[in-house]
Amino acid sequence: MKKKVKLKVNVNGDWIDKEVDPRTTLLDFLRDHLGYTGTKRGCDEGDCGACTVLVEGKPVNSCLFLAAKAHRKKVLTIEGLQKDGKLHPLQEAFIQHGAVQCGFCTPGMILTAKALLDQNSHPTESEVRKGIAGNLCRCTGYHQIVEAILSLGGVHE
Amino acid sequence: MSESEFSIIGQPLPSIDARVKVTGEAKYVEDLKMPGMLYGKTLRSPIAHGRILRVDTSKAKRIVGVKCVVTAKDSPRIKYGRIVADELILAEDKVRFVGDEVAAVAAVDKDTAEEAVAMIRVEYEELPAVFDPEEAMAPGAPLVHEAANNIAFKIQLSRGDVQKGLGSADIVVQERFEAPMVHPAYLEPVGCVAFYDAYGVLTVWLPFQKLFPVRSLLSRALNMPAGKIRIIQPMVGGAFGGKIDQKPPAVLSLLALKTQKPVQMVNTRDEEFIAGRGRVASKIDLTMGIKKDGTVVAKRTRVIADNGAYSSNAPATLNTMAIRPDNMYRFQNLETEAFLVYTNKLPSTAFRGFGNPQMTFALESMLDILAEKAGMDPVELRLKNVSKTGDVTAHGWKIRSGGLQECIERASREIGWKEKRGKRIPHRGLGIACMIHVSGGRTAGNFDGSSAFMKLNEDGNFDLLIGEGDIGQGARTVFAQIAAEVLHVGVHNINISVADTAMTPFCDGASASRITFVGGNAVKAAAEAVREKILDVAAEMLEASKEELLVKKGTVSVKKSEGRTASFVEIASFALNRKGGYPIMEKGTFDADDEKVHPQTRYGNYSGAYPFAAHIAEVEVDVETGKVNILNYVAAHDLGRVINPMAAEGQVFGGVAQGIGYALTEEMTFREGKITNPSFSDYKVMSAESMPPVKPIFVETIDPAGPFGAKGLGEPTLVPVPPAIANAIYDAVGVRMKTLPMTPEKILRGLEELKQKS
Repeated sequence: MKKKVKLKVNVNGDWIDKEVDPRTTLLDFLRDHLGYTGTKRGCDEGDCGACTVLVEGKPVNSCLFLAAKAHRKKVLTIEGLQKDGKLHPLQEAFIQHGAVQCGFCTPGMILTAKALLDQNSHPTESEVRKGIAGNLCRCTGYHQIVEAILSLGGVHE
Repeated sequence: MSESEFSIIGQPLPSIDARVKVTGEAKYVEDLKMPGMLYGKTLRSPIAHGRILRVDTSKAKRIVGVKCVVTAKDSPRIKYGRIVADELILAEDKVRFVGDEVAAVAAVDKDTAEEAVAMIRVEYEELPAVFDPEEAMAPGAPLVHEAANNIAFKIQLSRGDVQKGLGSADIVVQERFEAPMVHPAYLEPVGCVAFYDAYGVLTVWLPFQKLFPVRSLLSRALNMPAGKIRIIQPMVGGAFGGKIDQKPPAVLSLLALKTQKPVQMVNTRDEEFIAGRGRVASKIDLTMGIKKDGTVVAKRTRVIADNGAYSSNAPATLNTMAIRPDNMYRFQNLETEAFLVYTNKLPSTAFRGFGNPQMTFALESMLDILAEKAGMDPVELRLKNVSKTGDVTAHGWKIRSGGLQECIERASREIGWKEKRGKRIPHRGLGIACMIHVSGGRTAGNFDGSSAFMKLNEDGNFDLLIGEGDIGQGARTVFAQIAAEVLHVGVHNINISVADTAMTPFCDGASASRITFVGGNAVKAAAEAVREKILDVAAEMLEASKEELLVKKGTVSVKKSEGRTASFVEIASFALNRKGGYPIMEKGTFDADDEKVHPQTRYGNYSGAYPFAAHIAEVEVDVETGKVNILNYVAAHDLGRVINPMAAEGQVFGGVAQGIGYALTEEMTFREGKITNPSFSDYKVMSAESMPPVKPIFVETIDPAGPFGAKGLGEPTLVPVPPAIANAIYDAVGVRMKTLPMTPEKILRGLEELKQKS
């Protein structure tokens, strides 16, 4: 038996106790152990951003982030964004602006955007573009994504 | 046409799938889990060309948790292929590219499957390999397959008299244009889940574009009746042509048949680049002649295209290169010789544009070269030659809605073509490129149809069953809009099925920009048939003739008799709840009046409708670094009719982004047949920071055969991007780029050559 580590993590508001192989990535932990499949695996090597989740409010590529590093920390996945069945304004904005095509980049993109807006409530267009530059999208060309994010207090240049 | 003519068509409605996608609820294939599910992994060839001497799976089989190991011996060993049957599920005697599938494992978890694959021992006798299609055509080149030569597919055609045309030309130019293999780079790697059940049915959850064609390929490869194979489309995380035909479903099906357990297999990103099939690389030689007034009098084309080791969709792609772009102009004298050549590289296939971008790059670059020699404005030269409504082109294409001229005019006005060219700023330039595409067609067989079932539920809502599927482009939303418009209900009143070969009617699937035109017409026909049936029942209920009835907002009323109404709920109930009762349920079918082209001459009307576009790029070139900065980009599209402007704009933004990647940054690079940049850190697609502002313009020509006049849009958005940028670079700094991608290194080299010349 491989030696396991005890893990206490707060995912989307719930504290969870689990034992995991120390090599388990946060991505595998969320998807395979907890069933939070909204976090996507696009490359598994930190290049595409589809697996972005927030750890203590900061965006991380969960494919490169060991689950053990999230011990005693708060993790937010896309499933934790809506409150009482009501969508988060970013989710609503993505829908209304046509920012979603295939949707595979969407969870990571929305969480990156949330971290950006939490830090800077009135970002300029170039700040938004810079902020999401690590999240690849192959469908939209980004325009409608940028517009969706800017609609929540951003500044058109 | 007045604004109020429609209630749903033309509305910028959000995608009906957006909500499940923003919440993370949407299930993609890797999200599917089943009790007892196993994980598959493929063993790939490490060498480009070699004979398989021995495969030893004994060690792999002994690993705890390994449920089965399959090699060619466990497969029917029947060659199959979309157009040319030259593939096996697993390589038997020979491997033909680095990544060729040799064996596969199913195990209880991913780690065990990987460990087992590493324990399979294969002995190869390495053979000389060939990587360049021109070298592969030369006598004495190593043979990739057991044939007389490496030519997988060849097209030769002639219209008019090229010799005479060239003779009458004032200016003749010959040039070569090259484009490399690029990857569709959909964000969701290819994957599938398969399960062979005790009914003898193999169910495959597969995020592919064309479920029925895949089913027939699997049927042949597995030697199973098509009806015993069921393919269900989960959410698709992007496809762009790349998910029409790939190996994993066949390999996984073998594992599922053997284990009789659900098995899942998902490519790593690395595998995507090693074996995930990219755009056909091409070398195109063009000789063209024009008159002084800009009339093109001849075009002679020679194409050498890299097929890779197996043919997949590349033969049809070659056909597109050979014919399509010619039709946007009134060319009369044409000669084309095109070769698709086997090499020891990964198979090439479809990718947004299907051969059209390669030839459009060559042709549209050439038109600018010719325009300069004739002392003409590139816009004027194009306007001089454009195809128009009513034309039958040299290849036999019937242009029934031709908006290219308007696209050119509106794009040039929008960017300020005349003003900017009159007032030059150093190192800045403008470039235009045009394109024609199809809305479905019969390039890969004689079926281009679609059908939909539609039924009225007792709650007054409708079920729409259609197998065309949605690959993320918003097809389901467009279908719902079309059905809702016909039935005068809201989009939320239409429930759309997922594509499922066992439940939804036969159709060709997502390719050739056919979904809105062909699928949309099938949906429209189904909705109209249901509407007729509703009127039949309502006429009986309301004791009125059908002609007196009006359908509005979920209710049928008698026009001149206020108060005599029946809701869809009442109508459904009336039809059902009586002796001999029946559900209101109808089928709609559409098949365009396109033609299967003549196999030798390739003459004929390829598609039911032809979309057009004109793109203009404004660039600034940094002469110190060679970097191209796109300042503005205008994309004018004749798409017949806009069904959903927000979705249509999304297609334009996304297609242009992929086109800019093809133009400037993307290239799959190989060393001895082995890809050297198999990751997103080395294979550069556009990021949010690298995208310029893009302005979409829609020209509505209302095609007579389109659903509400609509034509295709998906692929056209990428097609003219590389030549528009190439022409802008030339306009900016005088460097003519003839090889994609147009990297800073190549541009600096061009600038250096210019300096030396002057």
